[in-house]
Amino acid sequence: MSVATVSQTAMAGQDTTARAGRDESARLGFRLTLPAQILVLFIAVFPLLMQLYISLTDWSPLSGRNWWMAWESWNSFYNYYDLMQDNRFWGALWRTFVVMIVCVPVEFLLGLGLATLFADDFRGKRVFYSILLMPMMVVPAVAGYMFFMLFQSGGPVNDVLSTLLGTRVAIAWLSDPTLALVAVMIADIWQWTPLMFLILLAGLVGVPQDQVRAATLLGAGPWQRFVTIVIPKMKTIIIIALAIRVIENFKIFDTLYIMTGGGPGVATETISVYIYKLTTQDLIWGYVAAIALAILLVLSVVTIWAMKRMAAAREVQA
Amino acid sequence: MSAIRLQNLVKRFGSFTALKTMDLDIGDGEFMALLGPSGCGKSTTMNMIAGMEEPSEGRILFGDRDMAGVAMGQRGVGFVFQNYAIFTHMTVRQNLAYGPRMHGKPKAEIDRRVASIADLLQLTPMLDRPARGLSVNILQRVAIGRSAILEPAIFLLDEPLSNVDAAFRAVMRTELKQLQREFRQTMVYVTHDQLEAMTMADRIAVMDHGVLQQVGTPLEVYNNPANVFVARFIGSPGMNLLPGKPSESDRGLVVDLGPLGATAPLPPSLAQALRRHSGDVLFGFRPEQASLEPAGPGITAPITIVERIGARTIVHLGDDETAMKVVVDNDVAADAGTSVVVVPRLDTVRIFDRATGTAIGGEHG
Ligand SMILES: Nc1ncnc2c1ncn2[C@@H]1O[C@H](COP(=O)(O)OP(=O)(O)OP(=O)(O)O)[C@@H](O)[C@H]1O
Ligand SMILES: [Mg+2]
Repeated sequence: MSVATVSQTAMAGQDTTARAGRDESARLGFRLTLPAQILVLFIAVFPLLMQLYISLTDWSPLSGRNWWMAWESWNSFYNYYDLMQDNRFWGALWRTFVVMIVCVPVEFLLGLGLATLFADDFRGKRVFYSILLMPMMVVPAVAGYMFFMLFQSGGPVNDVLSTLLGTRVAIAWLSDPTLALVAVMIADIWQWTPLMFLILLAGLVGVPQDQVRAATLLGAGPWQRFVTIVIPKMKTIIIIALAIRVIENFKIFDTLYIMTGGGPGVATETISVYIYKLTTQDLIWGYVAAIALAILLVLSVVTIWAMKRMAAAREVQA
Repeated sequence: MSAIRLQNLVKRFGSFTALKTMDLDIGDGEFMALLGPSGCGKSTTMNMIAGMEEPSEGRILFGDRDMAGVAMGQRGVGFVFQNYAIFTHMTVRQNLAYGPRMHGKPKAEIDRRVASIADLLQLTPMLDRPARGLSVNILQRVAIGRSAILEPAIFLLDEPLSNVDAAFRAVMRTELKQLQREFRQTMVYVTHDQLEAMTMADRIAVMDHGVLQQVGTPLEVYNNPANVFVARFIGSPGMNLLPGKPSESDRGLVVDLGPLGATAPLPPSLAQALRRHSGDVLFGFRPEQASLEPAGPGITAPITIVERIGARTIVHLGDDETAMKVVVDNDVAADAGTSVVVVPRLDTVRIFDRATGTAIGGEHG
């Protein structure tokens, strides 16, 4: 009994000493990283607070006052209230969502298919590989101009269709509300499937081949192997690829803006395009700040979800 | 039906020949061990039997059926990988159920089979644990169970025990042997541990550098090694091989052991075989099949090292060309630096051609 008491006391003593040591080193660590922390605070948190502040006002660069004087036009949450009522905002959000829900899965499936092809060896693999990665390296503005030309009613796309169908096709792609959206999606898929392919290929190459062979020996066919071994092993990387593309696609702007400018009308106006117009044409920066913060919130939720899933997937994987 | 026949099997990787013309018949229900040092082509042979690699030349038959062009999933072989290749993203249960599931078995049957194999391999308590993070000893049983659940007629195991600890290895040796007795599969078992091969196999195929050296029961391989490689490789320590020349004496044909200044007598049958032979030989005898005497007829040599390993003592004698070992009981007196007389048991003496390394006389003429 007494022995147990003694050892417990001793352990308790050790514990306090250890904790004191930890506190000491934590304090030192804090002091050493303080400059960096202040810098991070300034870079990340300051703009955020500034935006939050402006979003609660009617401030505009036209007012001729400095931004920190924005409190003069304080309107509390009126901008956010406005946002709820803004049909153009909800329309832009909806279109952004539609583009994403079409483009990301298509890019994913194409990328996965290509990656599967490229996991095996074939003649001319390296040449095709380079060609495949090229769209990703084209400057988005240039890609936008390229697709703008391609989709002209007298442009190459219609020429190809004419040849295929045997009759003269003169579709006004970029002036038709639906087709303009389709054209924009095609451009996005063209440009970003390679990134998907690249990430997924890295994941595919990392799938342990002995487990795939073990599955084969146990009687699994190619499709069964793919579903039961390959995909589960690639889960983390699939989530990374999807998260990157969802976040990037949500911000779709440059290629699209050059192709259609958000038109015809507002047919291809996405969130970024809408914000751009408000910023440069309407100049109501208080309102823009409110939208930007709302979107940041949405993207943060997506990112947190993806990170949670990734952690869970890693739990299951080797 | 599930006999395996390898005919003129050759495997090349580019310009490197991993397996040179292998001929081997493995009987239905036989437990065959492929034994050899690292890199001798054991895994290569197994992978070809399983269909993971195409032979460069030759044929593989299961019974009378040529396996050329039969995909590995269709061959119906169970395979336990050297590193187990457990599906780490699944539970133990999902691993065991994988085979039957892929074969489209009904749920009730899968459950029944998993339960019975888990019971057999004592995996029941960890059925629902994730396979990732289980100990090697358990993974090893999961690997065996995952293949055994399909009750394959042919079971291939590639060094299944090389990663598990010594105590567990002894347990698994017995269990695997029982498993095979029970199900009567044809089993091919790769190992570089001769103890495993000797204790479990019906027959052993000894390989070296892609060449099949000898096939025989454990005792055949031990008693009558076909060549110098097998003589040295089997047994621990391996057979003593002393350079010598046949020479006539009043005791009949003997081997003149040159530098040792001794002549060793031969059993009559061996002497007869050696008479028809000319040239230098190697005089072989097992360390366990010789005794140490203080004086008298035999091979006199100085003791260099005495290794006491518990029940037995390994006495090292001579040096370089004349180096030999004798295993004696631990109560036999032996001191380094003194000279003793080594007396090989006459009937266990083996003679090899020094130029070719092949055995002379005995079962291998
Ligand atoms: N895919 C390959 N390409 C080139 N060489 C190979 C290949 N696979 C095996 N080899 C070579 O063939 C030889 C035999 O290999 P194998 O794996 O059959 O040896 P092993 O007897 O199983 O050895 P271990 O006991 O180390 O497993 C080795 O020298 C190895 O380097
Ligand atoms: Mg091997």
